[in-house]
Amino acid sequence: MENKTSPTAKVLKYSFSYLLAVLFIFPILWMLFASLKPSGYTVSKIVEWFLPPYSFSNYFEVIDQAPVLKWMLNSFIVSASVTFVVIVFDSLAAFALSVIDFKHKNLVFVLFTIGLMVPTEANVVALFDIVQKLGLINTYPGLILPRIAIPLGIVILKEFFDAIPRDLIDSARIDGCGLFRIYYSIFMPLSKAAIASIGIFTFIQAWNAFLWPFIAIMTKEMFTLPVGVPTFTDAYTPDYSIPMTVNMIASLPAIAAFLLFQKQIIQGIKFTGIKG
Amino acid sequence: MKFYNQLSDRYPFLKALPFLLPFAIVYFIFLIFPIFRGFWMSLHRWTMIRNMGFVGLDNYLYMIKDPAFWESLGNTLMFVILSTPTIVIGGLVLALLANQKIKGQLFLKIAFFLPYVLSVAVISSIMVYFFQPHSGLLNGILQSYFGVEETIFWLGEANLAWFVIVFATLWWTVGFNMVLYLAALQDIPESFYEAAEVDGATKLQQLLYITLPSLKPITWVVTLLQIIFSFKIFSQVWLITGGGPGTETRPIVQYIYETSFKQNSMGYGAAMAFAFFIILVIVSMIQIYLRNRKEV
Repeated sequence: MENKTSPTAKVLKYSFSYLLAVLFIFPILWMLFASLKPSGYTVSKIVEWFLPPYSFSNYFEVIDQAPVLKWMLNSFIVSASVTFVVIVFDSLAAFALSVIDFKHKNLVFVLFTIGLMVPTEANVVALFDIVQKLGLINTYPGLILPRIAIPLGIVILKEFFDAIPRDLIDSARIDGCGLFRIYYSIFMPLSKAAIASIGIFTFIQAWNAFLWPFIAIMTKEMFTLPVGVPTFTDAYTPDYSIPMTVNMIASLPAIAAFLLFQKQIIQGIKFTGIKG
Repeated sequence: MKFYNQLSDRYPFLKALPFLLPFAIVYFIFLIFPIFRGFWMSLHRWTMIRNMGFVGLDNYLYMIKDPAFWESLGNTLMFVILSTPTIVIGGLVLALLANQKIKGQLFLKIAFFLPYVLSVAVISSIMVYFFQPHSGLLNGILQSYFGVEETIFWLGEANLAWFVIVFATLWWTVGFNMVLYLAALQDIPESFYEAAEVDGATKLQQLLYITLPSLKPITWVVTLLQIIFSFKIFSQVWLITGGGPGTETRPIVQYIYETSFKQNSMGYGAAMAFAFFIILVIVSMIQIYLRNRKEV
């Protein structure tokens, strides 16, 4: 009656899974080790990439050479602003759509969700024209605003808000609470988990965004990290240490955020996938 | 304020307005209006500086006869066809592996998902060096451990370049599909497997008759998201092959970008962007239609 897998099958299963996992992080480890090699270091054997000597000198050299810290600051300002505003604007709108009974509510919701079908990729030409006319090309607001326009957070939060018991609203009303108080003191605290997921997910997406920043940034001082990184990538130099160092600097915050908040990030994807 | 309160009791929309307005303004200016603006621009000759006059449908007529447009559209379709099955099935396989009750399950999940949190710029940079012919990691490994003698120019030939692009995209994004599959796997009731065990079903039978059929709905979702994502391909191609060799891997988004911002013909770029937008809407509609028909 025992239907157990044989020990050999088990060993095979384990080793295949682990091997695949190691292969997945192998290029990332390579990036890490290459960034620790002295600049101009050449290898004759593959394993030498992963063996000492190690040094952090590239990190200082890169920071001296290029405005990488400024790019990091730009990335941070843009991503943090996007995240903050998305949370505020999306939760406000989701609250109205969930709680207030007004005419054509469903129509408004549909109008908002239609935006999920509009890809930035098909919009960039006109977007550039509009942002240029507003005088926002090569500015922080020019990078931030188009990202806030994505309605995904509203769809997810409305779902969450819909599940909050209506009795809470009634009793708050009886106690004389206004709508904004109800939003701020009841709905927001009760949706902390969803808001955290949306926030972290939005932050990482904004941190990594390439296409729009690539088009809307005109000067080196305004670069975000993803726009700055490729300026170091050059397939024709044998020196990998410097570009890999820049890659590492650009990735560390995202990797750290992922390892710290992997639960929320994965939750965020489940929301996106199911509702997207 | 009192007047507003009385008014808003009679017209609840006024009550909702302050909550809706902040998002609605940004949404209409930066997401909805660009669609109409783009169509308007496509009816004009338009440079990055100014509007050069109304030309009617000339840009669209030019588009239909432009071989570069069709080539880039074909390349995009090629990528959709190559990448969709690969990354959907890849996500399923990784989810099945990461869902096993084995030690280090968390390590598997983290490893499979980690590339997804990196920027496409970093992913592409790593891939450029990974596939570099002379000092790249892959050729090094092939030459030292697998007895390959020639130097393979991975980006020198269209077929190999496609392989590199699909490989890079698979590595970067397959973790996203895995997470969606994992969620669905965890929703399958344990009792199904227990019952099957009692009836003496093998692991393979359980996979074929319980697991895979239960994953049908999520497979629709994953495939739909993947097709749309693949249609929008630009960044990794731009950063790894630059559309090359020649223009053999150049996707439509790159052609739109080059036309608008390098050739400075934003009118024509907007026409292609609008056509691309319509194509994406049609693709979504077909998918929604197929899905609804399946469910009936």
